[in-house]
Amino acid sequence: MASATDTALVSEDTSETEAVAAGAVGLAAVLFALSLASVFELVTITDPVAGVPMVALLGGLLVVLGFAVVTFGVGSRLGYVATDPRPTAGLVASTAFGLVWFVVGGLVASQSLGFGTAGWVIGALVTGGAAFAVSAFPREDIGSTLPAGGLALFAGIVFLTGVIGPSWVWNLGWEQQASFNAEFTIPVLTAFCSLLVGWAAAKAYGGFGARGRHVGAYVLVYLNAISIIALLFLLVAFTVLKGLPGLFNGFAFGAGAGPEVTLVGLTFSLPVSWPFVMNGVALLNDVNGVLPAIAGTIWLVIGAVLFAVPLGVGAAVFITEYADRGRFTQVVEIATNGLWSTPSIVFGLFGLAFLVPRLGNQKSLLAGMLTLGFMLLPLVVITSRESMLAVPDEYRDASAALGVTKWQTIRSIVLPASLPGIVTGIILGVGRIAGETAPILLTMSGSVAPPGSQTVDVLGGFQFQSAPPFVTNPELMQATSALPYQLYSLITAGVGQSSNIGAIDEFRWATALILLVVVLGFYAVGIATRYYFRSKLQHD
Amino acid sequence: MNVLPDSDGAGLRAAARRGLRRSRDFVDETPPDALVTVTVAAVSLLAAFAGFLAVSSLTAVPFAVFLVATGYGWLRHQELTARVLTLTTTVSTILVLGLILVFIFAEAWPTVQYATVNVFGIPIPGLRLFIETRWSPVTPPIQYSLVPMIHGTVLVTIIATAVAAPLGVAAALFLSEIAPRTVREVVKPGVEILAGIPSIVYGFIGFTILSPWAADQFDIVGQGTYLFVGIVVGLMALPTVVSVAEDALNSVPESMKSGSLALGTTDWQTMTSITLPAAFSGVSAAVLLGVGRAIGETMAATVMLRGSPGLTKPLYNVFYGNDTLTSLIAANYGDADGLQLSALFVAGVILFVTVLFLSIGSQYIEARMRRKLGGAE
Repeated sequence: MASATDTALVSEDTSETEAVAAGAVGLAAVLFALSLASVFELVTITDPVAGVPMVALLGGLLVVLGFAVVTFGVGSRLGYVATDPRPTAGLVASTAFGLVWFVVGGLVASQSLGFGTAGWVIGALVTGGAAFAVSAFPREDIGSTLPAGGLALFAGIVFLTGVIGPSWVWNLGWEQQASFNAEFTIPVLTAFCSLLVGWAAAKAYGGFGARGRHVGAYVLVYLNAISIIALLFLLVAFTVLKGLPGLFNGFAFGAGAGPEVTLVGLTFSLPVSWPFVMNGVALLNDVNGVLPAIAGTIWLVIGAVLFAVPLGVGAAVFITEYADRGRFTQVVEIATNGLWSTPSIVFGLFGLAFLVPRLGNQKSLLAGMLTLGFMLLPLVVITSRESMLAVPDEYRDASAALGVTKWQTIRSIVLPASLPGIVTGIILGVGRIAGETAPILLTMSGSVAPPGSQTVDVLGGFQFQSAPPFVTNPELMQATSALPYQLYSLITAGVGQSSNIGAIDEFRWATALILLVVVLGFYAVGIATRYYFRSKLQHD
Repeated sequence: MNVLPDSDGAGLRAAARRGLRRSRDFVDETPPDALVTVTVAAVSLLAAFAGFLAVSSLTAVPFAVFLVATGYGWLRHQELTARVLTLTTTVSTILVLGLILVFIFAEAWPTVQYATVNVFGIPIPGLRLFIETRWSPVTPPIQYSLVPMIHGTVLVTIIATAVAAPLGVAAALFLSEIAPRTVREVVKPGVEILAGIPSIVYGFIGFTILSPWAADQFDIVGQGTYLFVGIVVGLMALPTVVSVAEDALNSVPESMKSGSLALGTTDWQTMTSITLPAAFSGVSAAVLLGVGRAIGETMAATVMLRGSPGLTKPLYNVFYGNDTLTSLIAANYGDADGLQLSALFVAGVILFVTVLFLSIGSQYIEARMRRKLGGAE
């Protein structure tokens, strides 16, 4: 507390220099955003912004930033700015700067100056070593600003002088050709430099030292978190925007708008007509849809849950409640964790080798259900076990003190108490398997674009007989479609296959969107359930 | 009570004796009809499993017997039946892993045998899969080399790890140490949802947006680059890294952090000199699991790559993407049979074993860390 007051009192100019440093951080952020925008081609680098060519603008801003940071560092070293630097910038920063300048030196020596292998290695080593020395040996205020600011100055001058201009291309000269062009290189270099300079400026803002490092690191960590969320938002928003037109193609709402359905002997028209989710693919359809795939996904999930949940919860009960901790529980834990991380395509191969030959020797809905059930199983075991372990032992002891058996304790105490966790785990697991493509690709893939008449009707398919196997269900034993598989086959299908779908691109995006909605719906419900139960627990 | 059996012979013998005594006590104490019921159920379930393995049409008979026996047991001897049923489910969970191992190994064997090479008179099965560099299942000479696909998987995994490890650990630090409560409540579900987006949707966006863009930007012939597959796969592995690393960081005792802060350090100093070193093994386990995810990722690679096995030229040219182990299986299972199908199973075995080792390795590391920190087991 005292020191904070002190700095504000002792040197009035501290706040001004802090404002300069903060301004540099802000400018770096603007520059970063600008370069990202031009990577994504929202602005092209040849377009002028306010009369200045984009390249010149980026270069000029880099020069300004670099100059500002270097000035700040030098000013601090000469004592014009009150800071609290350490004797050195630290090994991590020095190594990073050394590597960056090593690459810069190597590229300049080999590409711009045309040296041979020995030449560029020497050039790279000299520049890298110099940068390392500059950041490692002088005081921290010089060590962390000079290499960063210098790089920004260098890049800015390169852009301004047109060494890397809008028409610059660097052909890598590899056997399989590839080259860097200016539209990619300039924004990416700018983004990198602005990150580096932004970090240095943030350090300067914190007055170097422990506090400066704290500020510098926090800027990067926050930026990282923001980018992850922004990326997620972008992905979802993009899919939604692209998918909406196809999804609501021919959507109608009103009494009697929809197709006729018969429920419990009562025939009536649905008030909604939503062709994309109510139709299959057929030549005469006005709007083609993915009803068979939706039905297939729903049945897949139901089958997998029916298979995996009893097995998984049972296994979790045994290893948590009955078994003594030891070799056996260890083996089970290792096996479930191993199963959890097994690649989905391996489950598909297993289904192909184990289930398909034993279930009518053809790809079938049942094989897909069981394969996804195998995938869901470890997740159910892990989450159920976790939530059972979270049940306090006092509950069990209190129940046992009443003289009831172990199973009664489990049934009436442990299971109800851990139910929220189990349910959440199952819902999240279902979200994961509902979007899986690889396993069902190998075990139940049907036709690319099934017509509406191929919608599976598992309940109506049961047939009973007196000879073994007593119950048969042809609907379960034949291949069908599911949303992820449908999307995959739409991507890989040739022109001929997709000719009767019409606007194939719109159809694909709509399929992607509805898959995303189904899967993220499960996730949203799962996460909401968790928050609900957690808030309830906290109120208790 | 919960004594871990010693690993030496005497301990094992003692454990075996204990087990024997316990089972004898169990038989003595249990009413005979309960014992009979449980035995009938167990034997009939085994018979049903054997029937299923042998593709018998009579499988349903022992299964029906099992259902009847357990139904009777549930009504009359619920305690014992529940115990036996849960034991059965536990055993079948382990059995699934065993079955996967056995079946994919069995299917892979013909190609491994086909690719046998004699080295100084000693036949080494499968060696040719790794010393040739041509995948040519149709045009003679028939060669099933997995080297190009392993090369692809390695490149993709390296790029994906370079994306997922630093970003994931930074995000985990943010979530566990830095973020204010309200921010965490937004970011954490966000990361989980990122894990929830189906891989085929990532692949679709990559296929329609990223691949054409990359082909245009880098002036590449055709579409499909390991670079962008690696970046996309890295994003998909990111949530795994974040959640496991966050758990590891959270398991560092609060007293250690408070002790450091009480010395007057900044939050960041505490993180770099106390929290991260203490949780280092847990964080590296998270990265290992992320690597496992990246190796096994299938659909994004399948739709974004070219699907024509071969090495890139030069080997470090990441702007061309041919095939990974996973995409080889997904793209070729349909028209493969015989040895070629078996070669796909070899690819599956490589994936399975690699990822299993990564998983066991990361579990070992985590267990060691938990022991070291003395946290609650």
